[in-house]
Amino acid sequence: MQEMAHDLALMWPEIVVLLTAVVTLVCEMLRCARAGFVSLLAGLMLASVLSVPLLGLETAVFDGTYRINALSVWAKLVLLPATLLAALLVRSELANSPREGTVYSLLCFSTFGALILAGSGDTMLLALGLLMSGLASFALVAWSRDSRATEAAMKFFIYASVCGAVMIFGLSYWYGVTGTTLLADLDGLQQAPYAAAFGLVGVLVGLGYKASLVPFHFWAPDAYEGAPVSIAAYLSVVPKIGALFALAQVVIDLPDDSGWQGMLALVAAVTMTVAYLAALVQENVVRMLAYSSVAQAGYFLLAIVSLATSTLALPALVVFAAAYSAMNLGAFAVVAQTGVSRKDLFGLGRRRVVAGLAMTLFLFSLTGIPPLAGFAAKFLLFAAAIEAGYGWLAIIGIVNSVLSLAVYLRIIAPMYRSCVVSDNLQGRAAASPAATIVWLTGLIATLFIGVMAQGILQQLRY
Amino acid sequence: MNLLALIPLAPLAGAVLIAVFRRAPAMLALLSVSAGLAASVGLLVLVEGGAAARLSLPGLPTMPLRLSGEPLQALLSLVVAGVAFFVVLYAIGYLRAEPRRSRFFFLLCFFIAAMQTLVLAADWLLLLAAWELIGLSSYLLIGFWYLRPGVASAASRAFLYTRSADIGLYLAAFVLILASGSSEIATSLQTDGSAATFAGLLLLLAAMGKSAQTPFHDWLQRAMAGPTPVSALLHSATLVAAGAILLIRSAALLPAEILLLVALVGGVTTVVTGLIALGESDLKRLLAESTSSQYGLMLIAVGAGAPQAAVLHLIAHAAIKSALFLAAGVFQHSRESTRLKDLQGVGRERAATYAGFTLAALALAGIPPLSGYFSKDAVIAATLASPHPGLFGVLALAGTLLTGAYVARALRILWRGEPRRRQVGGQVWMGAGLAGLVVCAVTLKLFFPAIESLLESVPAQSPLASILGLAAAVSGLLLGGLIGGERLLGPLRPWAQQGFAIAGGVMTWVVRPALAVAHGCQRLDDRLYLAVLGVGRSGLRLGQVTRCGDENIIDRLIFSLAHASRVGGVRLRGLHNGLVHHELALTAAGGVVILGVLVALDRWIGFGVTA
Repeated sequence: MQEMAHDLALMWPEIVVLLTAVVTLVCEMLRCARAGFVSLLAGLMLASVLSVPLLGLETAVFDGTYRINALSVWAKLVLLPATLLAALLVRSELANSPREGTVYSLLCFSTFGALILAGSGDTMLLALGLLMSGLASFALVAWSRDSRATEAAMKFFIYASVCGAVMIFGLSYWYGVTGTTLLADLDGLQQAPYAAAFGLVGVLVGLGYKASLVPFHFWAPDAYEGAPVSIAAYLSVVPKIGALFALAQVVIDLPDDSGWQGMLALVAAVTMTVAYLAALVQENVVRMLAYSSVAQAGYFLLAIVSLATSTLALPALVVFAAAYSAMNLGAFAVVAQTGVSRKDLFGLGRRRVVAGLAMTLFLFSLTGIPPLAGFAAKFLLFAAAIEAGYGWLAIIGIVNSVLSLAVYLRIIAPMYRSCVVSDNLQGRAAASPAATIVWLTGLIATLFIGVMAQGILQQLRY
Repeated sequence: MNLLALIPLAPLAGAVLIAVFRRAPAMLALLSVSAGLAASVGLLVLVEGGAAARLSLPGLPTMPLRLSGEPLQALLSLVVAGVAFFVVLYAIGYLRAEPRRSRFFFLLCFFIAAMQTLVLAADWLLLLAAWELIGLSSYLLIGFWYLRPGVASAASRAFLYTRSADIGLYLAAFVLILASGSSEIATSLQTDGSAATFAGLLLLLAAMGKSAQTPFHDWLQRAMAGPTPVSALLHSATLVAAGAILLIRSAALLPAEILLLVALVGGVTTVVTGLIALGESDLKRLLAESTSSQYGLMLIAVGAGAPQAAVLHLIAHAAIKSALFLAAGVFQHSRESTRLKDLQGVGRERAATYAGFTLAALALAGIPPLSGYFSKDAVIAATLASPHPGLFGVLALAGTLLTGAYVARALRILWRGEPRRRQVGGQVWMGAGLAGLVVCAVTLKLFFPAIESLLESVPAQSPLASILGLAAAVSGLLLGGLIGGERLLGPLRPWAQQGFAIAGGVMTWVVRPALAVAHGCQRLDDRLYLAVLGVGRSGLRLGQVTRCGDENIIDRLIFSLAHASRVGGVRLRGLHNGLVHHELALTAAGGVVILGVLVALDRWIGFGVTA
């Protein structure tokens, strides 16, 4: 019992998030969306604050099924503020609409699922987190209830079901070999390499769909386009990072020389290249950002591939997660203010100088141009990959950064071209101060992480 | 010691004021030179009273810049200040119609300040600096009328001649400082051994350049292209004296063999330049050659071991030769020329000037009771008392004889011929300056005992020297006056008129080789330039090739890559046709491929890639 209390004490952030989800649900039942929003903000802040003391712990609770380590704590510190920003974005987009409150509740449940994923020390928690995060996400995508949103949500659901089923199928092989669901006991897989490989592919399918890795990404552009922009922003950050951190938790315990690194490296290379190529021809900015976020997932894999052999990999993963959250949410926030078509961004840099500049900086940061956060993070990623002996992968990453510049310049260039703009956009822009807060925060974080990357690195090497 | 600093600072202040105000330059110059003269007199009085005058200024860390007022220095300073005073007085009249008077007086004051610094310098660094500054002012003053033909090249020649000989002073100073460990002149002169020999040789080189000794005598004759006051002050009394002063001051250092060399240089110079003067066709150049000749006599005295005799002759010569130049300047204004042919008979129309000229000339020739007789007497007596009386005595007497001859020749030419009347302005100032110097030249003898007691040395006395000297002077005068210089030279005449150029002189020995080396260097430089240009050209060619490659290969590659990217993007979009079963099939296929890859890479399974 005492052990239980001790374990629960280490899980306060998750518990607070869960309670917040319940409270916001109650608020929605009481038809008081505003209270739900406020309690969501308060709960997320509280959970973030509660996560800070956990920094530095390397332990696991509940018989090793849930891990409190650098990965999971940093996941909380990145995902909770990211959810908060997403919630602000939701408020600015969906305020005073029916069912606004449900969104907050669903955000909470989905984030909870992502946190469970990021901290999972057990295959069952992987499945649980995937489901928890996924179920809430379907509902979020379907929020608009028009045919487009419904189709997107349906597709997402089918996709998730199939991929989740494949994962559980694969995990059953692992269980069959090792006789345990704990990730810490994955060493036993060496007895049955084929089963181990089949299980790993299953896990990759399940987490890969959530993280939208190629070739499991097909749902993402449709879902992002069908959902409200703020929801797309959320989906592009929180569940994705949760799934990627879960993958990292898995590979920590995988036997070293089982070929998984080469496989993941291949997936990373394919993901980056294919996604940027696809992004190059998109006309819809949200779809473009969707492909961009798919490609960025490939960069995450650089860190995961090198996790076992490079000391730089963990810092690189965390810094890139933070940087990616800041710049991606910021970019989505600007898009939420202006419009989802490329045409809507025409002349943005002249109409609204600061917003245009912010958007430019977000996109440059996504490309990886110094001194922004994206550069610092990608620098760490490439360094980690090279240190781990995956120089060719780093080169592919760098080449894809060049390709990505073409993708992002397709947005930036028109922003600074003078052209006639319909007036209604300006009215809409002025109406959403919360979104402005989001992109301003993202901008500050982008610049801060970029400049302070060295300091962050020190912080991570405690 | 404020008086010590005032001597160079007064003319310097005058120069600065002239440069700043550009008004009344003559009066400012006169005022500052008078102040300098007063300071020099004051210093001499103090020194005679037994006071030691020293001044130390912050210079290099272990080498402060020092001024000192030894008796010799005080005396020379007074000579410089006195001649400068009279010459400035004269120049006010001489340059009455000159539009750039302020520049002239600025340079003159600047020169006087530098010269006084040189005289009073107590360490080598300050001496070197002053040495350079007088060279610079000499260059600028010779070139004062730089638009006239030949003036600029004369100035450059003077500068180059003295400048190349200056290397000797630099090296000597370094040698002495290194050998003695002190930059102070008095301390460093206690050096002996090979360092002393070496330094003495180098000092002699420097002195030969500045004092226009053979073979460096050519520049002084060409320097006569400058204004006459400049010739009087710089090129007879002061700047040219710097070489002799250097040797007089360092006489204690010089070993016997260097002393012999010094005397030989002086002796050769006094004879050679005396011969040249006999054949000269220009009054100022004749005086210049005489100057070289007289400094040759001084060098003989130094070489004979009697620097005090050299000092006496230096002082007397300063007054005499300045007076002669000033008179020559008056003649020059009368006839707008200094050529002896044009000056025939000018003595008749300027009787007073001619009288002054004659007095000074006779003093130069060494006729008693004028000052030149006594100083020359001291020199000849010193040669007879020296280790080589025969050699030195003959050289000195030959110099004396030649002096008499060319002086008589000049007097004869100036008197004979038709007088022409011509009004010349500024007579009062010019007359005052000339009169002052003539009086000095005549009466200086009265001060010789005082000078000797001040220098604490009594020159050798010998009746034989007096008789021989007087005989040589008189016979020289008679020869020159009765026969005339041209005929006296005989077969030597064309050679003397060329300045005793040996096989083409400087042109052959220095200028042509130097020019040949310069041309060689230029050719080498051209080759190098072409080589560098070639490197640059090949770089450009390489750049063009690279650019072609860039445009034809890399650009095309990139454009085709971009095109392929777009096509690939479009194809990929084709995969996203929105049909979920289609996409799921792709996903499944992808999963199978990944499984295949994993199995292929897995080492446990057996055909993995070994690390």
